[in-house]
Amino acid sequence: MSAQAPTIKRTPDGKPDLNGVWQVLNTAAWDIQDHGGQLGIPPGQGVVEGNEIPYLPAAAAKKQQNFANRAVADPEAQCFMPGVPRATYMPYPFEIVQSKGTMAIRYEYGHAVRVIYMDGSKHPEGLPSTWMGDSRGRWEGDTLVVDVKNFNDQTWFDRAGNHHSDALHVIERYTLSSPDHIQYEATIEDPKVFSRPWKMAMPIYRRVEKNVKLLEYECVFYLQEEKYKNAPFK
Amino acid sequence: MLLSNRLPEVHVRQKAFHRIGFAAMLVVLILETYGYSQAPAPADKAFAPARLGDGQPDLQGVYTRTGVKALEAEPPDNPIDPSGKNPLSVSNRGDGLGPYPGVFGQVGTVLRGTGQRAQRRTGIVDPPDRKLPWKPEEDAKRRQFLLQMNPPIDLRHVELNARCALPGPFEGEDNANPYTILQKPGEVAILYDYNHTSRVIHLDRKEHLGANIRLFMGDSIGHWEGNTLVVDTTNFNGRIAYSRELPYLTDALHLTERFTVADENTIDYEVTIDDSKLFTKPWKVAGYFSRSPAGTESLEFACAEGTQTLQNIFGVPPAR
Repeated sequence: MSAQAPTIKRTPDGKPDLNGVWQVLNTAAWDIQDHGGQLGIPPGQGVVEGNEIPYLPAAAAKKQQNFANRAVADPEAQCFMPGVPRATYMPYPFEIVQSKGTMAIRYEYGHAVRVIYMDGSKHPEGLPSTWMGDSRGRWEGDTLVVDVKNFNDQTWFDRAGNHHSDALHVIERYTLSSPDHIQYEATIEDPKVFSRPWKMAMPIYRRVEKNVKLLEYECVFYLQEEKYKNAPFK
Repeated sequence: MLLSNRLPEVHVRQKAFHRIGFAAMLVVLILETYGYSQAPAPADKAFAPARLGDGQPDLQGVYTRTGVKALEAEPPDNPIDPSGKNPLSVSNRGDGLGPYPGVFGQVGTVLRGTGQRAQRRTGIVDPPDRKLPWKPEEDAKRRQFLLQMNPPIDLRHVELNARCALPGPFEGEDNANPYTILQKPGEVAILYDYNHTSRVIHLDRKEHLGANIRLFMGDSIGHWEGNTLVVDTTNFNGRIAYSRELPYLTDALHLTERFTVADENTIDYEVTIDDSKLFTKPWKVAGYFSRSPAGTESLEFACAEGTQTLQNIFGVPPAR
């Protein structure tokens, strides 16, 4: 069905080779919907299909409240793990490590990591909820499909206060559309917060610099250095 | 004498234990029985690991590490937790939580390969008397620093792990949260469950990063010598610890690590620690990684997201 460029690299088992360092070039980290510029906020066209997020009424009110309080209420302000899909479009690179039975994504931001099991296993039951979710992957043709569940209700989708509950279910699709581009899609389901599933999509670009390497953005450490530089306080 | 095991309440967590079930238990039992009933085997010189497409020996899997965080001879007291009951210690919150989740229960099971019948090297192996080659003035500074860690006189004297920062190569855990090793052409990745840490070892680079880029995990370049992955690591940031008793290493730190695939379930590990600002010569630590049963999976270890440690120690910071 898909017209893949014939030039993409493949792993020895014939799957598209997603190994590498990747990063988006958009403004979804600030707001996943269409938005104008403000001081410190680059303007941008949204990544949400149709630009509409189908909030239930109470959830729409919470979004407005989050937006008003975003300077302190955004979990990013506390340097917490960003969740999925937000980790994908933070303005920091991430690295995909693609091995046959297991994949991993290492994010530069806050050294967040996801392990993606590719062995056909299901989401385990009965575990505590998590910030980055439980990821189970499979190949559909040349597309890596990652099913992510078992989230807590603490992460946001962006700095504009878009949010979800612990019923969040994310289905990600990674398609190598050229040697240096991934077409990324995330379908968002959360019946406690949204009236229907919705989707965001964006290209992700390979960091093609020679010897590019993920460095460290130790947000928590830097925040502590600032907050506690004059400690003790009592 | 204090034990070096700093977090006795934290154990390997086996998410998929229900999926392994009785069969794996039996395998472990048989291996254990076999291991203890046989005379030590000779070293596994002949072991031929599976190879990946690019020729790398395949050491992928989930492992528990043993023996790397070791005590020197005549160590100073563990500054944070001398009694095991220090209420300031992040390990000893009354509710059993703290940043180190203790909710996953049982002590980890590890598979023991044939090589486990031979005695494995652990702890400080060079110098043999385990007396670290300190510059005397630096040892004195270190001991003074330790005295100022409990309670910490300032942020600099809070142990790094209590800050949920990347722990450096050593301050992952022994006999506790596991390590997942993945390989791809040109790279070996080690994911620590501990504080969702990861490091990658680049096999296709020759030169380290520029001297102004400083990292908690360092910059690692490796190559294979037979069954041994030899890793050279520099560019450390001068903030990481080796252990509670050795609370910092400097930015002059230079590590040479050797990961040797010893048998199907064991990776032997040796690291040469060269820090010319603290020591008169390099010293060496050995340990090993033991494969966990099939189905053992990584679990999320959130740390910064729950910790109140700094506030408990220092009080509430003024609003910014």
